[in-house]
Amino acid sequence: MNESQHGLRGRTATSADDADRAVLALVTAGQLDALQDLYDRYKTMAYSIALRITSDAALAEDVVQDAFLGIWRNAGRYVEARGSVKTWMLSIVHHRAVDAVRRRRPTTDLPEREDVPPAALTLPDVWQDVSAGLDREEIAAAMATLSEVQREAIELAYWGGLTQQEISERTGTPLGTVKSRVRLGLLTLRRSLVRDEDGLAEGLAGDGGT
Amino acid sequence: MTEPRMTHEDALELAPAYVLGALERSEEAAVRDHLATCGLPHPEIQAFGGVVPALWDVDDLELVEPPASLGERIMAAAAADLAANPRGASASATAPTPAAPAPAAPPAGPPVAFPSTAERTARAERTRTSRFDWALRIAAVLAIAAVGAWGLNLQTQLDASRRFDQSVAAVIQAAGQPGAKTVVLTAAKDAKASGIAAVAPDGSLTMAVRDLAPTSGTQVYETWVIVGEAAPVPVGGFTVGANGTASFTTRPAEAPVGAIIALSLEPAEGSTAPIGPIVSTGLAIAPPPSN
Repeated sequence: MNESQHGLRGRTATSADDADRAVLALVTAGQLDALQDLYDRYKTMAYSIALRITSDAALAEDVVQDAFLGIWRNAGRYVEARGSVKTWMLSIVHHRAVDAVRRRRPTTDLPEREDVPPAALTLPDVWQDVSAGLDREEIAAAMATLSEVQREAIELAYWGGLTQQEISERTGTPLGTVKSRVRLGLLTLRRSLVRDEDGLAEGLAGDGGT
Repeated sequence: MTEPRMTHEDALELAPAYVLGALERSEEAAVRDHLATCGLPHPEIQAFGGVVPALWDVDDLELVEPPASLGERIMAAAAADLAANPRGASASATAPTPAAPAPAAPPAGPPVAFPSTAERTARAERTRTSRFDWALRIAAVLAIAAVGAWGLNLQTQLDASRRFDQSVAAVIQAAGQPGAKTVVLTAAKDAKASGIAAVAPDGSLTMAVRDLAPTSGTQVYETWVIVGEAAPVPVGGFTVGANGTASFTTRPAEAPVGAIIALSLEPAEGSTAPIGPIVSTGLAIAPPPSN
């Protein structure tokens, strides 16, 4: 997992990225061995993310299977300029895991199960691997800079699969407050992760912060 | 019907929740549509989204290895998908054409006592394969047989297909046990049923069969094991619904390499010798040496 020593100068392609992209191209061409390769490389991360979100081993397996089949069928939709293969794949896993737990809750507007939810495959298009060059201590230190309520909001959203509205209801916090906690939490994380801040953060701090 | 379009300001406000996946899916789709059509830059999506991978690396995400069977299931499903939707022909994937290749029906006849040339070749090939290929080849053989039998009418059969994928996964799992043997079931004359089975070390047979005619009344499909010149031994029966697929595990029986496995359609449960027509047969073969 320590494949990168790059700093945080925006998106920096690592050799692992390059290798993944080459393998993904083979997946697009229909090479089963290439899919096996990607699976072997990311199965533990994928399964761990799915398990954390679903808290259900059987469901987590279904999610990972679903996600990898989606990757198998839609590898051609990956857009290189918008993020690493790893980020793309794990985002698909995350998206489907959230769908799976929301499906168990009656209150959300999740559509009936589709065969290949297109949403899952385009959501992470614009993500970047800002954290690619950080080690775990740095990231843990960054997480520690969040306030307790910011951290809770982000965790309920990302790992709990809750919508902002649901977080508001569950924690008895006004929706506007939940929104600012999520925004400020992400902003704080970004500031501590991205050392050569490009001035973006200042522009982002204000908008939407009710 | 036009939905109210999301404004640029709305999209900005929703960006943090969007990157965390914390929007209703309908809202999320609206943000995505906005991003696809809005001419203004959206640096906030990148800035916030770039933080998300850090959430995977925090110390409290416990890393858990998935069970080995999951990878096998995924690869089997991908192989089946590939056979059903060959790459490079995507434009015609769903358009039925009259030029569907005829299923490669093996010559039907009485079960043979020795591996055919084709089976020997296949076995020899398997021994040369890499570590992944064993399960894949089982799946691929099956999937190709399935496509041949199904023709191009796949879209309407998705449910049966999914069911079948699951039973194939069970077979692959059984086949992965040390000492297990595998059986490729091919259709007998006037039948279409084909499938795959694995003989577990205890002698029980786990089968995935498709394109069986549905049973009616008291009819059952009975599974027979035939060793050498001995009389067929019944090891278990099952009924089949409208989807024509069966996932079944038999009673344990002596089924060494070279044993014939046969399915017959019996008028009722409890036959001690096959009465009805044989619909599918196969030969128990040894797995390749693991390397």
